[in-house]
Amino acid sequence: MGAVTGIAAIMLVLLGQDWGDALFWILAAVMLGSALLVVTMHDIIRCGLAMMVCFGALAGIYVVLGAPLIAAAQVIVYIGAISVLILFAIMLTQTKDAPSRLVFQTQAVPAAISAVVIAVIIALAIAATDWHEVPERIRLATDALSQVLFNDFVLPFEIVSVLLLAAVVGGVFLAKREPGGPS
Amino acid sequence: MSWDTLIPLIAILPLAGFVFTAAAGRRLGKQAHWVPVGAVFLAWLIAMAAAFSALTGTEPFGEHGYGVRLFEWIPAGDFVVDVGFFVDNLTACLLIVVTTIGLLVHVYSVGYMSHDPGYWRFFAYLNLFMFSMLLLVLAGNFLAVFVAWELVGLCSYLLIGFWYRKRAAALAAKKAFIVNRVGDVGFALGIMLIAVSLGTLDIREVIERIGELDGTTIAAISLLIFAGAMGKSAQFPLHVWLPDAMEGPTPVSALIHAATMVNAGVYLVARTNPIFAHAPEALVVVAGIGIFTAILAASIAMTQTDIKRVLAYSTLSQLGYMFAALGVGAWTAAIFHLMTHGFFKGLLFLGSGSVIHAVHEEQDMRRMGGLAGKIPITYLTMLVGSLAIAGIPPLAGFFSKDEILGESFKLGFYWVWAIGFLVAGLTAFYMFRLMGLTFWGAFRGPKEIWDRIHESPAVMTVPLILLAIPSALLGMALGLPFGASLIGGWLEPVFAEGTELLGHEEAAFNLAGIDGALILASVAVAAVGIAIAWRLFGAELGAIRIGPRPERVRELAARVPFLYRASLNKWWFDDLNHLVFIVIGGRVAAATWWFDREVVDGTVNAIGRVTLLSGRGLRQVQTGRVQNYALGIALGLIAMAGSYLLLAGR
Amino acid sequence: MSNSLDAYLILSGLLFAIGSFGFLARRNAISMLMSIELMLNGVNLSIVAFGAFIPALGAQGSVIALMVIAVAAAEATVGLAIVIAIFRNKKTPLVDEYDQMSQ
Repeated sequence: MGAVTGIAAIMLVLLGQDWGDALFWILAAVMLGSALLVVTMHDIIRCGLAMMVCFGALAGIYVVLGAPLIAAAQVIVYIGAISVLILFAIMLTQTKDAPSRLVFQTQAVPAAISAVVIAVIIALAIAATDWHEVPERIRLATDALSQVLFNDFVLPFEIVSVLLLAAVVGGVFLAKREPGGPS
Repeated sequence: MSWDTLIPLIAILPLAGFVFTAAAGRRLGKQAHWVPVGAVFLAWLIAMAAAFSALTGTEPFGEHGYGVRLFEWIPAGDFVVDVGFFVDNLTACLLIVVTTIGLLVHVYSVGYMSHDPGYWRFFAYLNLFMFSMLLLVLAGNFLAVFVAWELVGLCSYLLIGFWYRKRAAALAAKKAFIVNRVGDVGFALGIMLIAVSLGTLDIREVIERIGELDGTTIAAISLLIFAGAMGKSAQFPLHVWLPDAMEGPTPVSALIHAATMVNAGVYLVARTNPIFAHAPEALVVVAGIGIFTAILAASIAMTQTDIKRVLAYSTLSQLGYMFAALGVGAWTAAIFHLMTHGFFKGLLFLGSGSVIHAVHEEQDMRRMGGLAGKIPITYLTMLVGSLAIAGIPPLAGFFSKDEILGESFKLGFYWVWAIGFLVAGLTAFYMFRLMGLTFWGAFRGPKEIWDRIHESPAVMTVPLILLAIPSALLGMALGLPFGASLIGGWLEPVFAEGTELLGHEEAAFNLAGIDGALILASVAVAAVGIAIAWRLFGAELGAIRIGPRPERVRELAARVPFLYRASLNKWWFDDLNHLVFIVIGGRVAAATWWFDREVVDGTVNAIGRVTLLSGRGLRQVQTGRVQNYALGIALGLIAMAGSYLLLAGR
Repeated sequence: MSNSLDAYLILSGLLFAIGSFGFLARRNAISMLMSIELMLNGVNLSIVAFGAFIPALGAQGSVIALMVIAVAAAEATVGLAIVIAIFRNKKTPLVDEYDQMSQ
C-alpha cells in the first residue's frame, strides 16, 4: 500500500497528471496485478483474496468511468457475495494433502501463449476500429439509470430475478447431501 | 461334292480325327490308330486331287487359285476378317508335301510307338498337328494363318514334350515354345502393322494393295513377317530350339521338324513375296540370315555324336538354304528345295528312327557301326537319302540345291553362292560321316545289343521305301528340263509379280555356259566332301572298302582345337542365351520383384498404416478433460478472430 | 488516458486474457471458476466503458452491466454447487481427475 501511495504521489507531483489519469493508472495497475496473482498463486485462499482486491480496484475504475451504481453493485455483489461464496467453496473442497505441488496443468504453456495471442488480437481490433466516441466521459445520474432500468428494461429485470431464484434452488439442490450418504 | 466342301474337308478331317481320338482313344488302346490314320488318308486323297486340279489349271482353280469363303469371323466396321481357304499352285505344292509325309509318318508311328503307353495321345496330337498345318497352308487371311501358326507351335510343344516325365523333354518343349513365341511377337506386330496401314488382312487383297504404302512401312512389315518365319523355321538367332526338339519321338522329328512345321516360315515368305519384293533391303537381310544359319548349322553338324542331332542341324542348314534362295529372289528354287528336302529329310529321320529302334533306343553314333548287314532296308533307304541331300545327281537334292546355287550366282549374289558352295561340301561330309559311323565298320556297342538287332517291321519300312522313291525321282520329275522346269511352270504365276518387281530377268538356261560350270562345281564339291568323309570314317559300298581311321580324326580335331570345341559346343549360343536371359534376366526379375514387394506394396501398406497411426494419434485429443476442450475452443477463437482481423484489414 | 475509450477497452481485454489463461491453466476447479469471474468482469468493464463514451448507448450500458453482474452471481452459485457435488464423489478438486467423459 505504501508503495502504491508513493507511486501515486510521484505521478501527481512529478508528472503533473490530473486526478483522473493518476487514479486510472493506479487502479489499472492494482487490478491487473491482483488478477495475475489470482491466476498464478499457489495457495487458493490467497487467490481468492487477491480476487477480492481485483474486484475492488475494478469498482474504483467504474467510479472513474462515472458509473457509481455499478461500482456499488460490484462491491456488494462481487466482493460481498461471490467472493465469500467462493471462499466457502474453497474451504469445503480442501483435501488432506492440499496444496499439491503442481499448480498448473500440462497445457499451461499453450494456454499462456493463447492468452497472449487473445490479448494481442483484442488490442489490434480495438486500435483498428473507429468507435465514434466522445472525448469526455459521460457521467450518468443514478435516477436516469433507474428510469431506463425500470421502464425499458423491466422485463429483463424480472427475468433476472427469476434466474436468481432458479440459481438458488438449483444450487441448494445440487449441493445438498444425499440422505444417508457420506458427507 | 464340289470343291467348296472338299477343300475345307482337307483340314477338317484331321480335326475330327483329333476330337474322336482325344475323347475315345484311351479306351481303344492298341486300336486307337485306325481313325487318325484313316482321317489323314482321306485328307491325303482329297488334297492330292485338289493339288492335281490346281496344278493342271482346271476350273475353278485356273491360274491364280480358288478361294472358299466359310464365314465372316470379325465384322468390325471397316475391318472385316473372313474365315476362308485359298488354294493356288503354291498351296498345291505344300499340300503334296504335307499330306504325303503326314500320312507316311502316321503309318510309321503305328510301328514305332507300338510299345508306348501314350499311344492314343500321340495319334490325337498328330492329327491336331495335321489340322493346324493344313489350316496354315490353306488359310486365306493373315489372322487365320496366325491362329494356325500358334496352333502348330502348340502341337510342337505337346509332341516334343510327349514323354513329359523326362525332364529334358519337358524343358525342350518349353524352350521350343518360348523361342517360337519370340518370333511370333514379330509376326503379330507385322500383322498389326498391315491391319493398321491397309485395313484388311486378306492375303490376296494385301498383296494387291501393298504398293500403296511407303517404302519404310513395307520394309518394316517384311522384316516383322520374317521375324515370325525366323522363329518357326529356326533361323539364327532363334535356331536354338530345333536341336533340343530332338527329345521328342522320332516320327515327330520327321514330321514337324523336317518336313512340315519348319517349312511354314518358308511358305509364309514365299506367299507374301510381293511384299518382300517391294523392299529389297529386307530381302538382303533374309538372304544373309539364311545363308549364315546354313553355314553355322553345317559347322556344328560335323562334330555331333547323336544321330538325330546331326539330322537336326542338317535341317537348320537346309532351311538356311531355302531362306537364302528366297532372299536372292529365287522363289521357285526355294519351294523346289522345300519339297525335295521334305521328302529326303523325312526319309532320313524315319530311317534314323528305325536305326534307333534296332539298337534298342541307343542314339549315340559312337556306339553304333556295322549295321548295314543287319538292317538292310533301313540302310539302303538312308543311303538314298544321304545321296539326295549331298546333291549327287540324278537324285532330288541335286536339282533343287543346284538351282538355288545357280540362281544366286546368276543374280549377282556371289557371297551367297560362295558360302552355299562351301556348305554343300560340308553337308556331303557330315552326312557320310553319319553313314560311316552308323552303318559301316565294326559295331562299337555292347555285345548283347548286337545279337538282338533286327530289321523294323513292315509298317515302318514300307514308308521308308515309299519316301525313298520321291527322294530319288522327284528332282528329275520337277526340275527337268533345265530352264523350263515343271515346277517352274507351276509356280510362275505365284511368283511373277515378285520377280517382276525385283527386275530379275529370265535368262535362258545355258548348259554349255555358266550353268553347266556351276553344276559341275557343285557336284565336284559334293564328291570331295564324300571322299573326305570316306577317308576318315570308312565306307563299304559295293566294291569300295575303306576302313575308318579314328586316329586321323582325332589328329585333325587336335589341329583346330578352337573350331572343334566351338562346333562341339554349338558355338556357345545356348550358354549365351542362358547367361543373358536366365542369369541376368533372373537378376532383373529379382530386382523388379523386390521393387514390387517393397516399394509398390510398401506404398499401399504405408497408406493403410498412415490411417492407423493417424487414428491412434488423433485419439489423444479425446482426453475427457474439460480444460483441454476449452483450450481447443480458445484456439478456435484465436483462429477465427485472427483471420477475420487479417481479412477485414485487407 | 482516463478519457480515452481505447485504454479502458484494452484494459478489459487484458483482464479477459488473464482470466482465460487462468481458466485454461489451473488445476483446481475453484481456480477455474475464479478465472471465469475475472473474464466476466473484464467484459463488464468494456460494456460500462462503452456506456460511458458513446452517447447513443446512454444508460443502457450500465443496465446491461447490472444484468451481467446478476447473471454472474447466479452462475457462480450453480457452478460452485456442481463443484461441491463432484468433490463429494471424487474426493479431489483437481480437474485432471474429472476425465470420465472420454470413456
